[in-house]
Amino acid sequence: MKPTVGIFGLTGCAGDQLAILNCEDELLDLVALLDVRDFLMASSGPDTGVSLDLAFVEGAVASHRDEERLRRIRERSRTLIAVGTCAVWGGIAALDRFADRAALLEDIYGPASRSFDQLSVRALHEVVPVDYRITGCPIEREEFLGAVACLLNGDPPPTLAYAVCAECRMREHNCLLVERGLPCLGSVTAAGCEARCPGLGVACIGCRGPAADRNVESLLASLETRGTPPAIVRRRLESFGPLPTTMVGVAGEDR
Amino acid sequence: MTTRIELNHLARVEGHGGVTVELDGDQVRTAHLEIFEGARLIEGLVRGRRYDEVAPLVSRICAICSAAHTLASLAATERAFGVTPSPETLLLRDLLLRGESIESHALHVFLLAAPDYLNAPSAIALAAEHRDVVALGLRLKRLGNAIQEIVGGRAIHPVNAVPGGFGSRPSMDKLVRLHAALEEGVADVQATLDFVATLPPQDAGRSESAYAATWLPAGYGYEAADQIAIELGGRRELVPASAYRTIVAERTVAHSHAKHSRWDGAPITVGALARIAVNGGRLPPSGVAAAARLGLVPPFEDPLANNAAQAVELVVDVERALELVDQLLHAPAAPAAPVPIVPREGQGTAALEAPRGLLIHSYTYDRQGRLRQADIITPTAINAASIEHRLRKAVEQSPARDEASLTHRLEMVVRAYDPCLSCSVH
Repeated sequence: MKPTVGIFGLTGCAGDQLAILNCEDELLDLVALLDVRDFLMASSGPDTGVSLDLAFVEGAVASHRDEERLRRIRERSRTLIAVGTCAVWGGIAALDRFADRAALLEDIYGPASRSFDQLSVRALHEVVPVDYRITGCPIEREEFLGAVACLLNGDPPPTLAYAVCAECRMREHNCLLVERGLPCLGSVTAAGCEARCPGLGVACIGCRGPAADRNVESLLASLETRGTPPAIVRRRLESFGPLPTTMVGVAGEDR
Repeated sequence: MTTRIELNHLARVEGHGGVTVELDGDQVRTAHLEIFEGARLIEGLVRGRRYDEVAPLVSRICAICSAAHTLASLAATERAFGVTPSPETLLLRDLLLRGESIESHALHVFLLAAPDYLNAPSAIALAAEHRDVVALGLRLKRLGNAIQEIVGGRAIHPVNAVPGGFGSRPSMDKLVRLHAALEEGVADVQATLDFVATLPPQDAGRSESAYAATWLPAGYGYEAADQIAIELGGRRELVPASAYRTIVAERTVAHSHAKHSRWDGAPITVGALARIAVNGGRLPPSGVAAAARLGLVPPFEDPLANNAAQAVELVVDVERALELVDQLLHAPAAPAAPVPIVPREGQGTAALEAPRGLLIHSYTYDRQGRLRQADIITPTAINAASIEHRLRKAVEQSPARDEASLTHRLEMVVRAYDPCLSCSVH
């Protein structure tokens, strides 16, 4: 029997749902293997009551409404997969934890904002238990398709412990950090993008969140000797979600 | 007796929103587009960031318009610093925006809007009976994404566009392959016109609106412009992009997290139909023929005509993308290095056309090139007041008064604007 599936978006840019719709060559085959019951971005008449074998959820929790929806999705789902950097790490909106959120809200939206339904931004696992994670801003569609294939076979989707740096080395791109002194974050950022940015000569900005295998201390020191102060690197590192408390990570130890 | 029509979860639109209409008998008391997106405060969170960090952050306002946000951001930054990118950079940016528009319009016309005309809940359901139509839409969508992949380095949130230029120039063999794909696209956009021309006509009311779009020195396109043209009832005004606040006076309304814009008291409409209303005289012959075939003629009172306007732009965009790739293939491979940037204190405003309409980024930088203030006006925020106006008309002018008919009209109106609700809040 085909698994029942829901695809949901909380607060975010909808880029991960769009990445799924961007599987143009596979989309019609994909929906033949899955019983997609609730996918509001693509279909009206969602079946909001049915229990789901697989729930893919993108976006972060930024309102009470998001929080209630997420809890409801969790209740009706056997397996919940956080999809994209916002869902996995909080994403760029989670930068609000370094700012005075109330003041910014009033500044940007005026007094009417006091009645807004809004909360400090959280990743999904800060609200409900999450079974699997597919990171990326946006997710890579091959990774999504691979994850679906695994889940259809009852296997957990693979996660890569190594960093973008490893993928960059494998492709033999010139090193932007060592050769050009650029603040490239590839050495501490989760792999899976095949080093898109460094391959184009553009420094990694860490959009996939931290790699399990990482040495942030070493990166900070290395960039400091090349003229970028640690405070600036740290701020860049925190653009897509707060850093884990352990600066030096080894696969399997955190989260 | 007061009745209420509520659509709590708008389907087949980007983001989260609903519609509530209150009626006293047949009289519409209120018509509200409610937007439930959480406030991400992106304009606030980018303050203090160095100029090269800004575009990738603001790109995340919206995935479907991410190339437009990235390029509006880069243009605003470059204007603040007095930087002029190379002619080749401008060609590549034009191409990137065409790619985004092709992807976005194909997604909207085939996957989001078409099911309404053919009584299906989704394109997936539509594929059971009309597999060729859905396959056509997906092919065009893939073509738009191929352009964005090759030029922008990624289909969503482009990574290759940086201040002053591009990280790398697309390789010749990628351009050759893209050229071949675009040649196939020429037949596909004609098939799209055939498809849209034969859709059963739908009525969701008619009413006047102000239309606004960027005004380029020449041609029909999306790239950053110095002027915005606005039209209402035959009156036309050109406004410098830097004076955008005079046309989009934003006000925050309680029922929606998006800010609303009006011009001269009239709601403003932006998007494909607005571009044709404002820049129709600059369409290439293929676009003029397509517009005539789909019956797009002034005074553009039917909001659903935006769906047909997008089909016209698919024709124009594929044709223009092919020209641009031709030019890139025949130009010598110029050095790809971006124009160097020297930060300075200043202000820069960029107005360009996202697939769903006029987009403005306006930044103030300090001497070190750190962002002091950002003001971002998105097309769906501009359209919000116009959508509500047309929702009202859709109900008032409906000959059928049953809830199902009214609901169908309301949904079609909102969808026709191709709204991007996460954009409208950011």
